[in-house]
Amino acid sequence: MPSYEPILTKNMLTPGYTGSLVDYERAGGYQALRKVLGKIAPDDVTAMVIKSGLRGRGGAGFPTGVKWGFLPKDYTGPRYLCCNADESEPGTFKDRQLIERDPHQMLEGMAITCYAIGAETAYIYIRGEFVLGAKILEKALAEARAAGYIGRNILGTGINIEMWLHRGAGAYICGEETALLESLEGKRGLPRVKPPFPATHGLYNKPTVVNNVETLANLPYIVNRGPEWFASIGSPPKSTGTRIFCVSGHVKRPGNYEVPMGITCRELIFEHAGGMRSDKPLKAIIPGGASAAFFTDQHLDVKLDFESVAQAGSMLGSGGVTIMEEGTSMVWAALRLMEFFYHESCGKCTPCREGTSWLVQTMRRIWTRRGRLEDLETLTDLCQNIAGRTVCAFGDAAIAPITSTLKHWRHEYEELIRTAEAAGSAELVMPATRH
Amino acid sequence: MVKLTIDGVPITAPKGTLVIEAARQAGIMIPHFCYHPKLKWDANCRMCLVEIERVPKLQTSCSTPVAEGMVVRTATTAVTQAHKSVLEFILANHPLDCPVCDQGGRCDLQDFSHEYTPTTSRFIEVKRIFPKEYFSALIETQMNRCVQCLRCVRYCDEVMDVKALAPAGRGTMTEIKHFTHHELDCEFCGGCVQICPVGAITSRLSMYEYRPWMLKRADTICTYCGDGCQITIQTKENKLIEVNTAHGAGRNNGDLCARGFFGYHASTHPDRLQHPLVRRNGELVQATWEEALGFVAETCIRLKMEHGAEAFAGLIASRCTNEDLYVFQKFMRLAIGTNRIDSSARYGQINGVRALRRVQGTHRWAVTFEDIVAADALLLVGTNITETNPITGLKVKEAVKKRTATLLTVDALVPAVGTISNIANLAAHHFPVHPDRFGHVVLGLIKAVVEDGLVDQALAHRAPAYVQAIGDAVQALSWPALESATGTTSGALREAARIFARAARGVVLVGQGVLRSPGGYGLTTNLLDLLLLTGQHGRPGCGLAPLAEENNDQGAVEMGTVAEYLPGPCDLNDPTARERIAGLWKEELPKGPGRTLTETLEEARTGKVKAMFVVGENPVGSLPHAARAKDALAQLELLVCQELFLTETAALAHVVLPACSYAEKDGSFTNTEGLVQPVRRAIEPIGESRPDWEILSALSVLMGYPIEYGDAKEILKEIRSLIPGYGLLGAGPNPPRPDEAVVSRYLREGYAEDLANRYAATQPTEKRTGHFTLLVTQSLFHSGKFSTRSTGLLEIQNTGVLGLNPADAARLGVTDGDRVRVSNTLGELTAPIKLLERIPEGLAVFPEHFDEEARRLLGVSTDPQTRVPYCKSAQVVIEKL
Ligand SMILES: Cc1cc2nc3c(=O)[nH]c(=O)nc-3n(C[C@H](O)[C@H](O)[C@H](O)COP(=O)(O)O)c2cc1C
Ligand code: SF4
Ligand code: SF4
Ligand code: SF4
Ligand code: FES
Repeated sequence: MPSYEPILTKNMLTPGYTGSLVDYERAGGYQALRKVLGKIAPDDVTAMVIKSGLRGRGGAGFPTGVKWGFLPKDYTGPRYLCCNADESEPGTFKDRQLIERDPHQMLEGMAITCYAIGAETAYIYIRGEFVLGAKILEKALAEARAAGYIGRNILGTGINIEMWLHRGAGAYICGEETALLESLEGKRGLPRVKPPFPATHGLYNKPTVVNNVETLANLPYIVNRGPEWFASIGSPPKSTGTRIFCVSGHVKRPGNYEVPMGITCRELIFEHAGGMRSDKPLKAIIPGGASAAFFTDQHLDVKLDFESVAQAGSMLGSGGVTIMEEGTSMVWAALRLMEFFYHESCGKCTPCREGTSWLVQTMRRIWTRRGRLEDLETLTDLCQNIAGRTVCAFGDAAIAPITSTLKHWRHEYEELIRTAEAAGSAELVMPATRH
Repeated sequence: MVKLTIDGVPITAPKGTLVIEAARQAGIMIPHFCYHPKLKWDANCRMCLVEIERVPKLQTSCSTPVAEGMVVRTATTAVTQAHKSVLEFILANHPLDCPVCDQGGRCDLQDFSHEYTPTTSRFIEVKRIFPKEYFSALIETQMNRCVQCLRCVRYCDEVMDVKALAPAGRGTMTEIKHFTHHELDCEFCGGCVQICPVGAITSRLSMYEYRPWMLKRADTICTYCGDGCQITIQTKENKLIEVNTAHGAGRNNGDLCARGFFGYHASTHPDRLQHPLVRRNGELVQATWEEALGFVAETCIRLKMEHGAEAFAGLIASRCTNEDLYVFQKFMRLAIGTNRIDSSARYGQINGVRALRRVQGTHRWAVTFEDIVAADALLLVGTNITETNPITGLKVKEAVKKRTATLLTVDALVPAVGTISNIANLAAHHFPVHPDRFGHVVLGLIKAVVEDGLVDQALAHRAPAYVQAIGDAVQALSWPALESATGTTSGALREAARIFARAARGVVLVGQGVLRSPGGYGLTTNLLDLLLLTGQHGRPGCGLAPLAEENNDQGAVEMGTVAEYLPGPCDLNDPTARERIAGLWKEELPKGPGRTLTETLEEARTGKVKAMFVVGENPVGSLPHAARAKDALAQLELLVCQELFLTETAALAHVVLPACSYAEKDGSFTNTEGLVQPVRRAIEPIGESRPDWEILSALSVLMGYPIEYGDAKEILKEIRSLIPGYGLLGAGPNPPRPDEAVVSRYLREGYAEDLANRYAATQPTEKRTGHFTLLVTQSLFHSGKFSTRSTGLLEIQNTGVLGLNPADAARLGVTDGDRVRVSNTLGELTAPIKLLERIPEGLAVFPEHFDEEARRLLGVSTDPQTRVPYCKSAQVVIEKL
């Protein structure tokens, strides 16, 4: 098995490492912050990040430094950084580990970001269920504050950066950056229509950067070891650095694997995650979290970088890789994901709100052998009517499981429907449906 | 301006215009649900998708501003397909219960569905059904019909600033709810009902009563307050079905308050007087119009012979139309021959008008609602504006919320969130002072202006003596004394003065707390001094705006139905005016004096006045017992009342003549900003009732002094020839500029006569421990003379509940709903209480419309200059029962 140098998980993989401030400092922590604060011009920090090629690890993969550069230059009022720690995408569990095992790493990344974008206040929006993570972060914040890494007049440079932790209340949509901002403002967590983007109209309508935990955690290393070093890892020029892939499903060793971007699905599954659980052949892969379209065994050699996955018709997304073995019903798998999306659709916009509810009911009907052939056309149509017409990207994500399973495994749908027809149970009405 | 094309039509629109609006202006209607021009766009329904050249995805036209060279297409195959599909989605969970839905016939969903969707649906799943929940007595929700456009929620927040509604639940389970577990408790403005594009929020007052196409409509003006909102009364077979207003209509811009929206049933209340009544053997019995009018005419002629015209007096309610008011004063002056007339404008409006006339020579505001919205600094004194003038309040909210004006408020209430707007919540500086100390705050502001060099240089140049005199007067006041009287710091006063003086546009709004309280006239004059000193006076968009309480308070003054004025208004003794009016009337004007409300009552009591005409006024029911109105009126040999209901005053009358309500007649009202607007008949007169002017006209004929008109229009024509500003009805207000000659006279000498009084910081009466100040005030849900006859408004508020501060209540050992005894040397009452954070300690607030008992506790004093009776507060003791 090829082995790669871990970056983000290096500390936590060191035996005895606790994630405390002392441990982190001993491992070289907060040196990057010392290196930039007051010594490198903020714009040069941004330039460095652009040069590194770092792209967002939250889902959309937007170039991080470029995003920072969108903040208005001449604006003198407050600016904010929000760390997106809402990690709720099914099959994604990397941020949780970064938070729990090495919290200072992301705090340092946040401080560097604040400095680069001129923010004096940063918020960490953490998923409500991450109770342990929240406790650990509170403690880390207290340590960093006491050590003078955050707060007023950091390290005597006259720079102020305050950081606050805010716990979510259990809605997946609050991971969407603008819903996150609404929620942080104390409102109902509904996505905003973009444009305007958070860069100009973010938290409290002020210029704001929202970055994912993993994105931020990369920053100390880019500063310490240089953008050129970072840009040489992975599949340059467009997908640099490592990704922590969260492998789950029918593999022998599910878990987080930090590898350079660009290794193949095959390598990740069979070399790192130990191969298929019960040595049945692989049937399906979700390469980037529940929002990403399914791959089949034909895609095993697709490289796990932004471009290659997109070219193959899915997305690298949040890095959640879910594997399914032969024998898994793809209709069932898609239904399971639809249940999730139906449950989590915030309801703000019509196509997603009504579409997810319609889709999930039709899927349930098909799965419980009450389907009929027209249903497949309806499913396709409904998905088309959602695509591209919603307020936020949730709508496009929600249809991915159905469109991709219909594309690759349409016969499984048809088979269920044929059984239904054969059994004469084409009684279409569902028994009491829970909405 | 930006040039673009929509469906091939070249369009020019101002920068920032949304595509949907640009299209509308070009006559292209893009279907939409969540967009409403009144609200910030939210782009949630996705109905308004259009194609924009060179943009890959369809775009929501409600959230896309126009851009130079933009090419928009609203009817391509892709766009139509998108419209269809959004509708298909909306209809999926919709119950399709149009046959039992009140919105049917004017529903956006119905209309768009007819336009875009087939008659069958391929949705064969189970529809989402919300369990029915009781919402409120007046507003009904049917959430299965909701399209989740959030217009109602956004309206309630953005326009009303009430925030009573919120979406609850997620996804398809999202429903609109209120925040509480008990039923809806809000301002009941009906805005959510009006703005809902479907039948998800409807009015219970008209539930199941109509189809829109069955209704007859009349655009008229609301009678509940001086704001003068345009309403559309909708009727079916002479029954009042509902009231609403068209988007953007009237000075209210399509908004209403609870009184306007839900208060309309008063006109058809079963207690309406249907026939004339004449007193026979001590009893009021039904009579014919001939009998009743004949009796009145005969008695009048006899009494005039015996006692002369000066034994007559008249009172009229300023809820009447200008036409009624005008004919009333003409009748009193010509047919009777007396100037002893007054109207309910005396209760406070006259203070504002007199101060304006004195200082700037106008009787109307020099500002408009638009100027309030456009102001940079607003100073509100003595008013929680929403409760008395809700729509003017919306202008203030708009100024603060949308245009970030700085709001300064001086009022007894303290900032606290509640279910009804508390304007102090929006203030940058609020001075919460006891109601008898508003004047001290204003003196403090003036002192700060003088001491901090904020006096307008031009004024200092123009009127050095005036500036010197006021400077001396405020220098004589000590900061510590002002600070202790107001409980604030000189720093805060200086800051507020600075904000006001430096504002590009400053407007002062004066409410009942000043106009109807002791010293009201002087304080209003001082506020004009503040405007003058800061240079905010006389500039376009700046000025003083006293808030009219009744719908036609302003008209009553202009028609000359107050003791001191002839129509115009012109001073009663102004020889040129008298000559001009006499010329038009072809009759000499009576020479006798005018008499104000309280003076008239006094003269009735002493027997000097023997006969009175009371039109719509109810002194017995409005004044405190201490005014002894009942005793006075009981002395009369003839009391004629023209009324809709048998009021406390009408019950004493010798003759009661049934009059029409505003819904049954044509005419005009003049609103608080001085805009004359048309009133139109919506239903046939109830019973035998007749418009007030017609009754008076008929009497005049019988008395041999015919004052005859064919209809209300003819009266208006005469008014127009006599009074400026009565030209085109309803055209936007054209505020007068201050008369510089009058301003100069005021600055030269006019200010001096009462300067010492106005600038004396009277030592406020120290409150005795254990004593409360009882304030009887108007509430949002009741105003004017008829609101307590409106079933809708009674549903919201039907008893007098005493508002108390929670800390006071705790000290008294009482809580919500407990009863207390309120007493002083004049009397006592018992009432349930309600704890309200906004009421400061030491204050107890009672609604004036349920004050039958409370009026016993109130004393009366009259303004030495304007004779306004002040009777809204008393010192009382409160005990637990
Ligand atoms: C429905 C939805 C859910 C999302 N959830 C998350 C999340 O839990 N965590 C996250 O970092 N980004 C999430 N995102 C992506 C964010 O909107 C945003 O792109 C990201 O936080 C930006 O940070 P990055 O540039 O560092 O990736 C979500 C997006 C959508 C549309
Ligand atoms: S796409 Fe779905 S999740 Fe996103 S705003 Fe619309 S309803 Fe909400
Ligand atoms: S109740 Fe009416 S206005 Fe409110 S969200 Fe539903 S459809 Fe829209
Ligand atoms: S009471 Fe006043 S604010 Fe309310 S609708 Fe009538 S005129 Fe308008
Ligand atoms: S009207 Fe544009 S999205 Fe609703």
